[in-house]
Amino acid sequence: MIATGLSLALAVAISAAPGADEHLLAGARAFRDGHFDAALVEFRVAERLGASDAGAYAAASLVQLGRPEEAVEAFASSPPGDDDLLDWYRALACYEARLYTSASRLAAKLQLSGPKAAAAVEKLRADLARVLAPEPQQASIDWYFARCDDLRQRGRGALAAAYCREAADLGERRTDRYGVARASAVLTRLDPGARHEVKP
Amino acid sequence: MIAAVVTSLLLGAAADPCAPVEPAGPADAAAAAAYRSVAEAEAASGSRDTAVLAYRHAAELDPADRSSRDALGRYCRDAPHPDPFRDGMARMDAGDRRGAIAAFRAARARSDDPTIALMEGICHYELGEDREAEPLLRAAERSPDDADVASLYLGLVALRGGEAAKAAALFDAASATPGLAPVAADLARFARTDGRWALTIFADSGFDSNVNLAPLQGTPSREGDGVYALGATGLFRPRGPDGPYFRAQGLLNQQFHLSAYDVAGGDLAGGWQVLTARWSALAEYDLGYRTFGGSPFLTSNRLLASAWTAVGGVTLGASYLARFESYASGFSPFSGTVQAGELRTSFGVGSRARLALAYGLARDAARLSILSYVEQGPRAELRVAMSRRVRLGVDLAGTFRAYDVFDPSLGALRRDTYLDAGALAEWDLRPGWTAHAGLRGRQALSNVAGFEYGKLVPTIGVAYTFSP
Repeated sequence: MIATGLSLALAVAISAAPGADEHLLAGARAFRDGHFDAALVEFRVAERLGASDAGAYAAASLVQLGRPEEAVEAFASSPPGDDDLLDWYRALACYEARLYTSASRLAAKLQLSGPKAAAAVEKLRADLARVLAPEPQQASIDWYFARCDDLRQRGRGALAAAYCREAADLGERRTDRYGVARASAVLTRLDPGARHEVKP
Repeated sequence: MIAAVVTSLLLGAAADPCAPVEPAGPADAAAAAAYRSVAEAEAASGSRDTAVLAYRHAAELDPADRSSRDALGRYCRDAPHPDPFRDGMARMDAGDRRGAIAAFRAARARSDDPTIALMEGICHYELGEDREAEPLLRAAERSPDDADVASLYLGLVALRGGEAAKAAALFDAASATPGLAPVAADLARFARTDGRWALTIFADSGFDSNVNLAPLQGTPSREGDGVYALGATGLFRPRGPDGPYFRAQGLLNQQFHLSAYDVAGGDLAGGWQVLTARWSALAEYDLGYRTFGGSPFLTSNRLLASAWTAVGGVTLGASYLARFESYASGFSPFSGTVQAGELRTSFGVGSRARLALAYGLARDAARLSILSYVEQGPRAELRVAMSRRVRLGVDLAGTFRAYDVFDPSLGALRRDTYLDAGALAEWDLRPGWTAHAGLRGRQALSNVAGFEYGKLVPTIGVAYTFSP
């Protein structure tokens, strides 16, 4: 249902570069029909042919394909807040990539119409509230730092920054603010642009 | 061109991507290059299916694109790689834990997802390979998503290794997750009594509505009284749960006013428990001593054997005991041998409750034949974890007793029926401390009116368990 909504929204919003439109349209149809691998390919082709907004749709496809970390990276090229449907997928990507505080911030702002969509958003919010209810353990925060460090060494700066940002946000939820200063230092070293982009 | 691409996607998405490549309308080298670029990126990220799809489109749009055709041919010649994690899960579900471990190991070679380590660790634990399980569970414990389940299994590993206090702490950590709370809280409580040694002390108080088991009508009249009980149980297991054990128990059950019904006693027991992955069993000897009304009452020697196994989520068990009873003078006609056996099963009811059903058969061969009987009947226990710290229980039992011979003094061959019911609430105040409130009731029916009675015993109490 949400997938259909996204494809319709995309179909009426197409205004990409010549040659890219047809791939955006093909991607939208494939997405609507549940062929997310085909949708991803088409959106990626559209992106390469000049459709700058195709990256977000490719990111939504990556969410549906169970590739949330790549989706988070793909969403990094476009800021949140322009489209609730895309922000729904952005929140899902963060949730599935274990970026819970980022997902929570996105989910808090979502206003999807329709009872099923609203119920899905409510469920996501409830799941996030459950995950974020207890005070984060130091071991959990250390896990995010380890993930951040690993991704940084692999050259995936945007995603690394997202994990370090999550470590900082979790540290802020502890009375001793464990890891906050360390996260700030790491984020400062990471690409400032990437750091800004991944913060919803 | 648009129609060709859209049609190919709508129809072709579900078609075989490795079917022979046919040109898709006029050649479009620019679009083909874009598809090839996407295909290479997807291939680099390990996404075979999308890479194949994109290479195929590139080959369809540009017959001269040999690199895309070659790449497509390469992918299609290779058998599709199964997902080793899914394979492992399927093998685990089928009970093939060795196969599952091999698959999970292959999956870990591709991905450092802690969930894979968790599942492999669980397989090792279930095979009794705790040394292999622990590092995998530790790796999974560092992931926030898997930490709770990993803690639960690390607790089980610690428990099996005889580290009860460590196990209890791990179960406590796991019980913070609502879905795991019922089982983890139960395991934490169990672990606190499952170390190499444990000492439990308790104090109860309540009211017994019919201390003298007086009949509903006639004489003697019913006498109710307040009661308090103090007790302690010490358990020593030098090799942990799997091996020999020794137990000492003391009990003091005092009436507020009717001291003739006071009971005190103690037990010394020694036994051996064997725990394996498939079944468990114990054998035990128990020496018991009781006083009644402050005077010697009973000395008993009891032999007990019990075995149990789990089949899926159902536990099946059986036990047998023989108790050789020697009553003090005045009660000596009751002396003799009691033999009892029970078959039992227990299983989960939903995520928070467990139901146990049992059927018992007992024979009391007393020195005086009119006191000898055979009794049998069913028993049911329901335990519900209401929250992380609160449990409720309901017990029901029916016992049908038939005496051996006609009793000339009663003028009857006595037949009794006992209907027992109980309700229990337990509240874990803090680690080691448990408060409880209970209500027990019995209705005794008999073909001899003087043996019919009813009683209710509400109690409250608190218990504390010391453990290493």
